[in-house]
Amino acid sequence: MASTTLDRPAAAPRRGGPAGRRPAYVNRRQVRRNTLLGWSFILPNFVGFALLTLVPVIATFGIAFTRWNAYAAPEFTGLDNLTRLVGDENFRVALVNTLYYTVGHVPLTMAASLGLALALNRKIRGLAFFRTAAFFPYITSIVAVAVVWNMLYNPSQGPINQLLTTFGVSDPPGWTSDPTWAMPAVILTGVWKDMGYYMILFLAGLQTIPPELYEAAKTDGANALQRFRHVTVPCLRPTTFFVLIMLTIGSFKVFDLIVVMTNGGPGRSTLVLSQLIYREGIVNGRFGYSSAVALALFLLVLVITLLQYARNQRLET
Amino acid sequence: MKRRIVQGLAATAATALLLGGCGSGGEAAADETLDPDAPVTLTVSVWNLEGTPEFGALFDAYEAAHPNVTIEPVDILADDYPTKVTTMLAGGDSTDVITMKNVIDYARYATNGQLADVSDLAEETSDLAGLDAFDQDGSYFALPYRQDFWVLFYNKAIFDAVGEEYPTDLTWDEYAELAERITEEAAAAGVTPAEGQTTYGTYQHTWRSTVQAIADAQTDGDQLSGDYEFFAPYYERALELQDAGATLDFSTASTQKISYRTMFTTGQAAMLPMGSWFIAGLLQAEAAGETDVDWGIAPMPQAEDADEVTTFGSPTAFAVNKNAENSAAARDFVAWAASEEGAKAITAIGVVPSLQSDAITEAYFALEGMPTDETSRAAFEPDEVALEMPVAPTTSQVDQILNEEHQNIMTGSVPLEDALATMADRVQNEVG
Repeated sequence: MASTTLDRPAAAPRRGGPAGRRPAYVNRRQVRRNTLLGWSFILPNFVGFALLTLVPVIATFGIAFTRWNAYAAPEFTGLDNLTRLVGDENFRVALVNTLYYTVGHVPLTMAASLGLALALNRKIRGLAFFRTAAFFPYITSIVAVAVVWNMLYNPSQGPINQLLTTFGVSDPPGWTSDPTWAMPAVILTGVWKDMGYYMILFLAGLQTIPPELYEAAKTDGANALQRFRHVTVPCLRPTTFFVLIMLTIGSFKVFDLIVVMTNGGPGRSTLVLSQLIYREGIVNGRFGYSSAVALALFLLVLVITLLQYARNQRLET
Repeated sequence: MKRRIVQGLAATAATALLLGGCGSGGEAAADETLDPDAPVTLTVSVWNLEGTPEFGALFDAYEAAHPNVTIEPVDILADDYPTKVTTMLAGGDSTDVITMKNVIDYARYATNGQLADVSDLAEETSDLAGLDAFDQDGSYFALPYRQDFWVLFYNKAIFDAVGEEYPTDLTWDEYAELAERITEEAAAAGVTPAEGQTTYGTYQHTWRSTVQAIADAQTDGDQLSGDYEFFAPYYERALELQDAGATLDFSTASTQKISYRTMFTTGQAAMLPMGSWFIAGLLQAEAAGETDVDWGIAPMPQAEDADEVTTFGSPTAFAVNKNAENSAAARDFVAWAASEEGAKAITAIGVVPSLQSDAITEAYFALEGMPTDETSRAAFEPDEVALEMPVAPTTSQVDQILNEEHQNIMTGSVPLEDALATMADRVQNEVG
């Protein structure tokens, strides 16, 4: 990059803008130093990102059109993997389950974390304690979370079902041992684990809302609900948008929670896409087909994220 | 300049991939002669060296008999073992002896031509249980040194307390009735392992083999066939036991990750169908003072009309790496481990060797803590040990499907007939 700047001195002024405005002063050494400095700051992270994420991600796009067991040379198979995807019952099940998880997890987590943030955004005794308590699940080991929740969900001796029985539920759900209830059980655990993190984001968002707006609303006679709807919600929109995007992406690629809680079972009732990718690639050694599934997941997330962006843009104007 | 850096990174990455993929050793000479006195360092791939005492026992005995040899174990995490060995072999690693943890992986390595042919060694042996599993179109690429098979463990104290006779040669129906009877009698007599706990007549562990592999072994059925009607009577019995409360239910056992070991050693189950590896575990736990359970073994329950004792199991074997650095020494070790001397070394710690002879059985039952009754001895010598899961390229896919449907059946979420039909459908349509 040093040579670029030195060889083509004419290029430097043009950087200022299309109109050819010359910058106030150009000290090439200074510019070069700053550029190098900038690169050096992001380099450690970028090298890791490029080698471990960027290259494999780009490679996936190619591998998805081959048959490859990771050892022999990949064999180009055209659209075979994609046609197989369409007829694959496992893929269909995993896709439906992933959508199910997302549709359940995203709104529930948003509601829970926003609720928590609103509750903990006021001066109450032991505020720090409650905020920490709400954040704790997020930093707890997922394996510990899974084991404890599985105990709570225990169909015959678990506290949840014992509580339900005392409240008169005669036939409480089987939770993780029942294909119908396994997904709701996993979603609930997911919400509990994630809500603390998004609560922090919402709290930060709430702090940025100027108190004058609330005062003005109060003066105009708005009640609490109206103040929430017409002041809090619009002012929180940038935060809500960010949380929505992060949550959606996170839900689509859910993996660890499912693996340690149910491992896709009972039967295939909680099998999700990322698990199918792992199973096909790492376990069965079919990296071509596994990449095709990964590609499908990527496109799905991309389309939904773009839709969300478009909607956000429309709301902003 | 951005582009140059990206190109540079791409080039580096490509080089790294090439270097990683292409390391491969030369072919070892198969007819290399063995100098009995030259110092040799033999490398052997093993899993969980610390927790698998048979490896230490074998290595110590071999080194004692061959002072010129030093064995260097290549210890691999048990869960990662198949993946790691696959990668090692594909990368041309020169570890001399490769332990075959299961037959499915063995078949893959042998088909890929990554193991040296040891058919001549196989011909010299006889009475090696489980050797057939390593037959690849008449050639052998590994020799089994250990053969586990399923037996019925029982807790003598519970049988005594409820006044039942020890099991000897049960049929499945007798077994189910016995389990239900013991559960009732134990409850009536107040026999409990601890306050608030139940003593179950039996414990059927959550693995699909507990139902499916034994059905395969004792009927004409084949787990790879895509026709699973032969599972039906075995499932009916398993579900019946569960409905009668004679075993801990599948849902609880699987979600709570119940350990069969705890169920048996703490007296929560009077019987336990389980692999013979559990004998070594029991002996070890007794020696360490962790349990004082008084146990015996009986043959697995049999079908109504059976005239011999059929069970299932799986062998463990040693193979010589095709790229072995010391292939002659490696061959010697593999042959030794399958021989009487190797068998004695692992028998001493309660592991069931592949080689079967009266002397070995004698030595086995002379171990401290082993039951000494005739039934236990008889259980130790079943007439036929079928392979737990047949070996074919489709095995792992079928295994996945059978396992998923097994969960559906045992949790009671899909009626048996429907689940068996789905099983067949899925194996016929998805596998290939």
